[in-house]
Amino acid sequence: MAFVQNFPFMSIILSLFSGPLCSVLDGKWAKKVNTAVIVIIGLMSSCVLGYVAGLGEPFIYRMGHFPAPWGNEIRVGVLEAFMAVFFCVIMLLSMAGGVRERLLQIEESKQNLYYIMVNLLLCSLLALIYTNDLFTAYVFVEINTISACGLIMIRQNGRTIEAAARYMIMSLLGSGLLLLGICFLYSVTGHLLMSNIRQQVEMLAVSGEYRIPLMVSLVLMSVGLAIKSALYPFHTWLPDAYGYSTVSSAAILSSLVSKGYIFLLIKIFYRVIGFEIICSSKVIHILFVFGVMGMIMGSVSAIKEESIRRMIAYSSVAQIGYIYMGFGLGTEIGVVASIYHVLSHAATKSLLFIAASGLTDASGDSVRYEELHGAGFRHRLAGAAFTVGALSMVGLPMFSGFISKLLFAQAAMGHEYKMLITLIALAVSTILNAVYFMKTVIRIYTPASQDGESKGNRIIHMREQPGKSAALICFVILNLILGLNSEPVIHMIEAGLEMFR
Amino acid sequence: MDLWILVPIILPAIAGILLLVSSFTGHIRGKTAGSVRGLHVYTAAVLVLSAAAALYAAWTGEREAVLFTLLDKIPIYFRIDGIGCLFVTLVSIIWLAVGLYSFVYMEREGEEKRFFGLYLLLYGVLVGLDFAGNLITMYLCYELMTLVSMPMVLHNGSRESIMAALKYLFYSMCGAYGGLFGIVFLYRYCDTLNFTAGGTLNIAAAQEHRGILLAAVFVMLLGFGAKAGMFPLHSWLPAAHPAAPSPASAVLSGIIVKSGVLAVIRTVYYIVGPDFLRGTWVQYGWMTLALITVFMGSLLAYREPVLKKRLAYSTVSQISYILFGLSLLTPDAMTGALLHTAAHAFIKCGLFLTAGIFLYQFGYTRVAQLDGMGKRMPRTMWCYTIFAMALIGIPLTGGFISKWYLAQGALRSGIEVYSWLGPVVLLVSALLTAGYLLPVTMKGFFPGEEAASMDLTKREPSLQMGIPLVLLAALVLLMGILPNPLIRFLYEMVSPVFY
Amino acid sequence: MNVNHLLHNYPEAVAVILFGIGFSNLLLQKNLIKKIVGLNIMDTATYLFLALKGYIDGRKAPVAADGIQNVEAYINPIPSGLVLTGIVVSVSVTALMLSLTIRLYRRYHTLDLDKISVLLRKEGK
Repeated sequence: MAFVQNFPFMSIILSLFSGPLCSVLDGKWAKKVNTAVIVIIGLMSSCVLGYVAGLGEPFIYRMGHFPAPWGNEIRVGVLEAFMAVFFCVIMLLSMAGGVRERLLQIEESKQNLYYIMVNLLLCSLLALIYTNDLFTAYVFVEINTISACGLIMIRQNGRTIEAAARYMIMSLLGSGLLLLGICFLYSVTGHLLMSNIRQQVEMLAVSGEYRIPLMVSLVLMSVGLAIKSALYPFHTWLPDAYGYSTVSSAAILSSLVSKGYIFLLIKIFYRVIGFEIICSSKVIHILFVFGVMGMIMGSVSAIKEESIRRMIAYSSVAQIGYIYMGFGLGTEIGVVASIYHVLSHAATKSLLFIAASGLTDASGDSVRYEELHGAGFRHRLAGAAFTVGALSMVGLPMFSGFISKLLFAQAAMGHEYKMLITLIALAVSTILNAVYFMKTVIRIYTPASQDGESKGNRIIHMREQPGKSAALICFVILNLILGLNSEPVIHMIEAGLEMFR
Repeated sequence: MDLWILVPIILPAIAGILLLVSSFTGHIRGKTAGSVRGLHVYTAAVLVLSAAAALYAAWTGEREAVLFTLLDKIPIYFRIDGIGCLFVTLVSIIWLAVGLYSFVYMEREGEEKRFFGLYLLLYGVLVGLDFAGNLITMYLCYELMTLVSMPMVLHNGSRESIMAALKYLFYSMCGAYGGLFGIVFLYRYCDTLNFTAGGTLNIAAAQEHRGILLAAVFVMLLGFGAKAGMFPLHSWLPAAHPAAPSPASAVLSGIIVKSGVLAVIRTVYYIVGPDFLRGTWVQYGWMTLALITVFMGSLLAYREPVLKKRLAYSTVSQISYILFGLSLLTPDAMTGALLHTAAHAFIKCGLFLTAGIFLYQFGYTRVAQLDGMGKRMPRTMWCYTIFAMALIGIPLTGGFISKWYLAQGALRSGIEVYSWLGPVVLLVSALLTAGYLLPVTMKGFFPGEEAASMDLTKREPSLQMGIPLVLLAALVLLMGILPNPLIRFLYEMVSPVFY
Repeated sequence: MNVNHLLHNYPEAVAVILFGIGFSNLLLQKNLIKKIVGLNIMDTATYLFLALKGYIDGRKAPVAADGIQNVEAYINPIPSGLVLTGIVVSVSVTALMLSLTIRLYRRYHTLDLDKISVLLRKEGK
């Protein structure tokens, strides 16, 4: 066994233990430890990625060396390793982008608590990505929820506590369903390891037994994870949670937490049930319908919003809709498009949140549209970065959003009935996206009228906020890389999905 | 892989980006002004070099290059063909002329580094658009062109110009998405997305889904028509032109708007194929929209008191001449449309440069202020008159030849109603054109009784502004007097599309 | 599917019905405390289901007693382990929910989540 094979487990354990370590440090040191941990894990994950890509097949790491049906396993393929690297990068940048806000908005004595939460979150995300055991996945889903809740409520005001309560309630509903689904699956197959369940499910599919319980458990798990990742009718908690928490939290929540659940769902589809069975079931139609509804309704709600943060939050609802629509197409290309959109959305949404916080900084910390007049001139970098993010969301070529739209459209073309609906939904949602994002871009580049000049307006130079500037520039570059050089990424996703089989 | 094709795309793009970066860092350090002369030399050198490279690449044989692959089976692919040659030549001539002009003009507008940075970058993108070898590459350059040309519209940063720029952006984006929507459909039903004269549509697959495919093509036409100012999506043009500095409006009207035409030509004649559309509702709908636009544009121009807006409406009308010619789907009409593309590019560019001179020398924007202008700057006014006559279609100018071919194409097309309605509308619109352009000349040379109270001292513009104007006017006349080589070239290009 | 199946599997049916009760309480109750009670019912129902799956008639709990090493003597230990893990998760989640409830109650003096939302909107933050 190569030494690199220990890295996935080591990275999980490292982030898990750095949490308690942060609790005894003060804020400054906790921040340094946190940054170091993320960087180390990112490097280790890159090594793993290189190793797996060279190996050409996934490897399995046995926890405690118990053999397959009893022990707990970690399974690493190209896609898992790539996701781990990507999540680390996004997390590092999101943390760097919100340094100043965290200092201002979180009480001095609670600074270190924030980093505990972030470390735990990273740990649970990595575990969700790597684990080969369904019940372990459930446990880490709950840890993920708890730490995400902590990230929301660390900024203490009425709004965030209420948002955290609502978030917890919806998440608990979701994880309850997920747990029941896992129990059903366990009672039918008698296994908890994904690979073993898969074998049993295939046998059951051939013999035709237990069709209904299998479908019920599939529905329970899909709906549970859909609730947790804020698919359209279950999105009510999202705008408050993203809209009022501190900016790093919003960026991490929107681009990582919900994506972790989506990744777990993909694993369940491919590794547990088997993609052919999923495609022949009716579940994907449900996901498709909700996804399309989310694409439209999320954008409509975003248009009505008066606050820039909540608008970006609602736009997330629409983007999650895209991802589920991709699953709903029930083709391999559809899933590839969805995964690509996971990446592109993660890169773009955190960029938007951080850029928006830069703009509000320059406008007396107000998130309301009226106060943002001319903010693009006051904070040039944030204005430019916001424009890039907006254009990527709208889907201009060169940026990542365009590629994912192209992939979705391509995936839809292969489909008899869903083709037209998908294309129309894509077109409508693109136009709606253009309406609210362009409206905002117009707003931030329209100078304020003289009498309406607000007191809080000030000009911010790049040097004043080095963390945020660096994060914004990196995000813009990341977006361009995803938009211009998408082919290797897509090949990697395809190879990763192949390893899932 | 032929590197020559990439030089005129990449060289100006890099040079432009360098300028933009230096302008941005200059802002941060707080010193915006640099050496103006150095900037001019730099810009001129890059422009001349890349224009020479572009023309050399275009006129010396077949070339193609794959830059990189965007997605599976969708490469960024450049190839030179007849249409590309024609458009690249137009772009290069106009870019050199307007460049010379703006060295003087932009001194007053300020922010020259940014302007010339964008100007160079835009040239690279446009050459890329003209050389594009498949639909996706064209679409990429098309969107880039919108994005790069938008900051030129909002150059002075005033509220109206920003609103105009965003209106422009919004219309272009909606239009481009219409185009993308269609491209996705065509991707499925075409053998390849590479441009091939006569179309690449897979007839067997296409016949099965005829209705939906026709709808998709119509949406594409509407979408690309937005850039060309076709009827339902035309209203960005009159907003964007007056807001932009004059050289920017000149290239906007002369070239950028033509890119919509290029996209339509590529889609209809090189991907879908004229045979598929002939006699369908799409053709009729397209013809109707084009004719409505021709008439409406002229009428609106006739009633417009601000000169640049009047010219913008005139562009709306004239571009739809071209679109009408294309919609007939016959060789004659297509030749006419291409001729008019060339003629209109020179004419409208010249007209906007003239309007810019009025603005630069006297600060006049409205038509009513231009009385007696012929006495004050006769040379400029003579050029204006040549452009006006060409736009109306008076013989011995370029406009006459192109309109002649358009009318002939319509009459010979044999399409019921439109074969005579088209020429009639074109004629009425030509009369309206005379009505809105010639009064400036007449009042300019013969101001009437009020002349006594006017200040009639001569104030011709400087040579740098005058030479491009004279050059363009000469080209327009040349096209009118010796059109045959051009027509032969166009016929050679058009015939493989139809046979 | 007939009634016999249902009667035969009545413990599972009870577990699922309990789950439904807990789920709808968590979803529909306005009072935060009642929501938390619902959450606990839901979790407990799942544990009941799991425990049932592991139970084999006439066998003992999987604790090695009296030196009996034979596997045949004990019930399936894995579900019991899962239940234990689940209880730990459930306890921590309940604690978190309760602490949130306390904070909200201290600020707004009500346990009704909708009323809190109304108050927040009045605050206008």
